[in-house]
Amino acid sequence: MKNIEELNYYEILKIPANSSSFEIKRAYQDALSIYNQDSLVTYSLFSNEERDNILKTVKEAYSTLIDINKKAAYDTILLDSGQIEVSMTSIQNQRKPPHAHTCNMTDSDNFDERARKKSRKKKIETLSNQVLSKDLISGDDLKKMRKAAGIELSEINALTKISASVLRSMEENRIESLPPNLYLKNFLRHYAKMLQIDPQKVIDGYLKNISLAQKK
Amino acid sequence: MTQIYPIGGGKGGVGKSFITASLGALLAKSGKKVLLIDLDLGGSNLHTLLGVNDQQGGINRFLDKTVKNLENTAVSTAIQNLFFISSSLCSMEIANLLHAHKLKIITAIQKLSFDYILLDLGTGTNFNTLDFFLTSNQGIFICTPEPTAIENSFRFIKAVYLRKLKHIVKRHSFNSAVKEAIIRPNHEAITSPDIIETVLKHDPDRENFLRSSLSEFKFKFILNQFRKNLDATIGDKIEDLCNRHFYSNFQFLGTVGYDVRIHDSVLSKKVFIHKYPYAPPAIDIKKITEKIINSRPSIPVTGKIS
Repeated sequence: MKNIEELNYYEILKIPANSSSFEIKRAYQDALSIYNQDSLVTYSLFSNEERDNILKTVKEAYSTLIDINKKAAYDTILLDSGQIEVSMTSIQNQRKPPHAHTCNMTDSDNFDERARKKSRKKKIETLSNQVLSKDLISGDDLKKMRKAAGIELSEINALTKISASVLRSMEENRIESLPPNLYLKNFLRHYAKMLQIDPQKVIDGYLKNISLAQKK
Repeated sequence: MTQIYPIGGGKGGVGKSFITASLGALLAKSGKKVLLIDLDLGGSNLHTLLGVNDQQGGINRFLDKTVKNLENTAVSTAIQNLFFISSSLCSMEIANLLHAHKLKIITAIQKLSFDYILLDLGTGTNFNTLDFFLTSNQGIFICTPEPTAIENSFRFIKAVYLRKLKHIVKRHSFNSAVKEAIIRPNHEAITSPDIIETVLKHDPDRENFLRSSLSEFKFKFILNQFRKNLDATIGDKIEDLCNRHFYSNFQFLGTVGYDVRIHDSVLSKKVFIHKYPYAPPAIDIKKITEKIINSRPSIPVTGKIS
């Protein structure tokens, strides 16, 4: 059996480094429901000593991450040792908890996936640079970048709670069904964040594009 | 390439034979050539679930050499493309299978050519069951959401694990201190962490090899007799937990709902999914079958068990 002590606190609670305190609390409750003495899932899997150690580590993880100051100090240690990167705050990682150390394993599935991800990243970068350098950004541009990043509309909807019909209107430049600018800006910001591109540029370019279209 | 899936799980009555029969039937219905082998030696039941009246015998004829080729002991069933090798006419002492006979069966199975071969295994963690489970680089274990079954499943996984570890160490070149410690341990209750620790101590270079060999093994599992009032995430939780705490790969295939009609189908000696194709458990097993068909084929085990 693997040693849980090799995992960092985020890996123990299976959450990304940018989790909110709500997510941390929920993850802690999930972990307790798995490792608690009366949990069906781990019934008889561990000796009492092993279980106590795991629970102790889970509690330590929680009490550290829930405390803003302790968390910041802990993050610095992880950043320094290279266990987390600034890019850990990215959406892709948010959707999938960091995999418990697979680095030593020669699993070809993971290898393929990593390679594919890398090449896809390159493509997204060139495409988004191309789009962001433009003055006007259309809904079609947004859609193209989203497709390149391999993100589904339903996924954006699930994470941002922006309704799918609004998202579709945004991508199809249907000005008449777009929400008021105040909301639209916010929606664009969320959308851009999901694609990990500069929100301000997207907002400016997109609003400029629709105001031009309205004038016509 | 033939995909071999041993179907095990420590506890009795969790539905190993039922799932084997149903999965086999559905794989065959989707056009695959499927062979089911009853390897619950001394506790054969699969023929009854399939409604096969076993008169001519199966594995017994292969072991007593009346039939030279294991494939020739397979009989067809009511379902097209579904073949079956029985063990119901084996000797009353078959549960204590000779080591040589076990190897003979395993080697013969690995040579068979079908799309899928499902091995219905017995309960418990005796060496026969464990070695049959290790016939392939993948296996399915069946569990029910009850403490007793969960307990036996974890025991089964750990036993398979230990057996696999021992095979790896015995079959490959490891430092003699490691081999000595594993073949003649100082104490009876040697565990997998003990072995890994021994390897770390005496043969640290081989640690990664050991880990990667273990990670080649893929466990899949099914939660059977699942009732609606239970926590639906329990399967995913177990998958996650096992992937986190063991070096092998675990995949949760899905739950199969509890249904009193399963009992009816056993009474009438008919294949359940044939009799009640639209009952919830049948639909659950259909989903699982699709998952199996769509999963990546695993590399077959090479080399013999010594």
